[in-house]
Amino acid sequence: MAGATDLLGPKADRAFGLKLVAPAMIILIVLLALPTLLTVVYSLHDVPASGSSFGPFVGIENFTIIFSSPVFWRSAQVTLTFAIGFVVLSTVIGLAMAMLLNQRFIGRGLARALLIIPWATPWLVIGILWKWFADGSVGGLNAVLMMLGLTSDYHPFLSDPNTALPITVLAAVWRQASFAGILLLAGLQTLPEELNEAAQLDGANWWQRFSNITLPWLRPVLITVTVFNVIYAFLQFDVVFAMTQGGPGDTTQVLSVLIYRQLFVNTNIGLGSALAVILGVVALIGGLTIVRLFYRREMH
Amino acid sequence: MTITNATRGLGSLNRRSFLKAGGASALAASLLPGLMTGTAKAAYSGTLDMLAWDFQPDTIKSLVGEWTAAGNPAVNVAVIPNLGYTPALQTRLRGGDKIDLYYNFAYNSQKFVNEGWAKTLNGLPGVDEMIADMFESARGRHVNAAGDIISAPYFSAVHMLHYNEKFLADAGLAVPTTLKEIYDASKSLQSTVASPYVAYWVKEFCEEYLHTYLLNEQITAFDDAGQPVFADDPKTVGVFEWWQTMYQEGLAPKSLLTDDPGKLSNEMAQGNAAFYVLHHYFLTSIRSLEGPQSANVKSAAAGPSTLQIGEVLQMGQSDSDDERLATWELMKYYGWKDTDGKFKVFNQWAKAAGLAAPYAGFFTDPEVIASFPDYYDLAMLSDTFASKSNVVPARTLPWYPDFQAKVGDIVHALLLGQATPAKTVEDLTAAAKGAQGGRTL
Repeated sequence: MAGATDLLGPKADRAFGLKLVAPAMIILIVLLALPTLLTVVYSLHDVPASGSSFGPFVGIENFTIIFSSPVFWRSAQVTLTFAIGFVVLSTVIGLAMAMLLNQRFIGRGLARALLIIPWATPWLVIGILWKWFADGSVGGLNAVLMMLGLTSDYHPFLSDPNTALPITVLAAVWRQASFAGILLLAGLQTLPEELNEAAQLDGANWWQRFSNITLPWLRPVLITVTVFNVIYAFLQFDVVFAMTQGGPGDTTQVLSVLIYRQLFVNTNIGLGSALAVILGVVALIGGLTIVRLFYRREMH
Repeated sequence: MTITNATRGLGSLNRRSFLKAGGASALAASLLPGLMTGTAKAAYSGTLDMLAWDFQPDTIKSLVGEWTAAGNPAVNVAVIPNLGYTPALQTRLRGGDKIDLYYNFAYNSQKFVNEGWAKTLNGLPGVDEMIADMFESARGRHVNAAGDIISAPYFSAVHMLHYNEKFLADAGLAVPTTLKEIYDASKSLQSTVASPYVAYWVKEFCEEYLHTYLLNEQITAFDDAGQPVFADDPKTVGVFEWWQTMYQEGLAPKSLLTDDPGKLSNEMAQGNAAFYVLHHYFLTSIRSLEGPQSANVKSAAAGPSTLQIGEVLQMGQSDSDDERLATWELMKYYGWKDTDGKFKVFNQWAKAAGLAAPYAGFFTDPEVIASFPDYYDLAMLSDTFASKSNVVPARTLPWYPDFQAKVGDIVHALLLGQATPAKTVEDLTAAAKGAQGGRTL
């Protein structure tokens, strides 16, 4: 047994632990780290479309081309607008749905089950569904607005530069809000009822209970939800591609669509990779900012 | 078998001159039966790989299966969706995937040759005869400026004006031919149909309309060297003024920027539109919808000249000359004629959807004529292919896909009133020069 004890010593533990995580590590390295590294290397080269080599090293020339292009800045503006709308609406609507579904009412189980449906639907399918829903001739959205008396005529939402981006945001929010709602509902279910009851007995109104008990309780979940929302917002591609392919004009051309076009249509691998690096950094900064902001507030 | 210049036959002549010569067709006709039958069987015993986009996959497999059943190699057919076909194909080829034969968009063809993803067809037995058999107007799509043969036809089409004959007759209007006449007729028809004119103006397709409308006013966009000569033609601004006015004045519906062609066919079938400019075979989809106005829809030439489009078959890299020859046999069958000299594959596509082949003989073949529904005016269609359409050879140049991808944004800006017609000319010129110059967003 002495030998066995030696084997289970600290060094052996580490070796055994490494063996256990090795498969996962290899998968992560091959599928995540290497492609990331390759993208960074590509971004510094004028890569031939054929993929036969890295091509000539061009330093930061791809980034210079990107930053001096009005196409990039317009796309960055569209991406930021999309991201703000997506993050705010997904989080707020998700929270509202979670609070509603945390109440007791007949059919709550069914409503909770329905909440999962958008989240379980692939992004691309959501895009196709919403493309038809927002259609200017036969779309359900127009029908609903007409029934409610909010419009007197069918409106081509996706061809109108003023409404195309908001509609793509709404389509993406429809799915992401359900994801946020599910996580926040899980957080709400851990909130002891006594806290709210005691506050109610002390005369706290709904807003006071929400802002002083519910929100602080949900903060850890909210951080996770918001970080996810920020990352999904910047990396969103499927919904926009299925609904508008970046149009009309460049109205909905988010950076991910621009990257797709450069990498896979024009086969400007170097330029597309540089765009991907920029977007990756932006998403990372966005996510980290949210984490720092929330944690700092929590610490204070 | 090693393919050398000695086996190239007609290819060893000055190919460019030969192909341009009017006598080539006659020579081809005299050689054809022997060439077609003499190259029927391939020595290759392996399996060929073919990639196609998702249009009637069962028909593709059936056609290829018949070829194999005639004693040819087996073919492994893979089908992927139309949407995103180019990115998927490029990614596979870039990753080293070996595909013997694949569908491609004509505007990709020279780029694919340059990148080493496709082989030229120079010197293959019968290839010069195939080219000579084509309408002269179509050859520029398959033969580049240097005389290299870069592709074979998959199908061809011409942009036509589909119109509602009854609406025009009721309003006492003749079929319009110029852009101005289309505008005037649309204005007159607004009392019958709110937005009489429809076209597939989504971003990806604006480039085809750019050429269609320019050709309608007899403006060539690019010279053979790819220079954007449209910018020098004073009529060009007028074309863009027309385009913008049609949209801004509501003669074309506001939803056109994202509407798909199936929906537009239905608009014609239902009588919600009077004009629809798109490929000739959309007449089939309008008629087959059997809407209240379907039977009243006819087609006319879209002006004195129109855009002739055609998607192509390209040959990938082969491991051996035998494999290359076998692939070529399949290409001939699929993109020209079978060993009996029949347009077997094209005839099937004609039956299925009204697709055409860029060969004069296609339109006079009794079997093909029988395959087209009566509502097609094949003589007019053939005439359009022969002398009233242009493939715009610059569309196959290696930089063209970059330009093609940018046209949509620029034209949409015009339609939405965000750019003037003059600015649009400037932007398109800059886009063409930028694409030729290398890396740009």
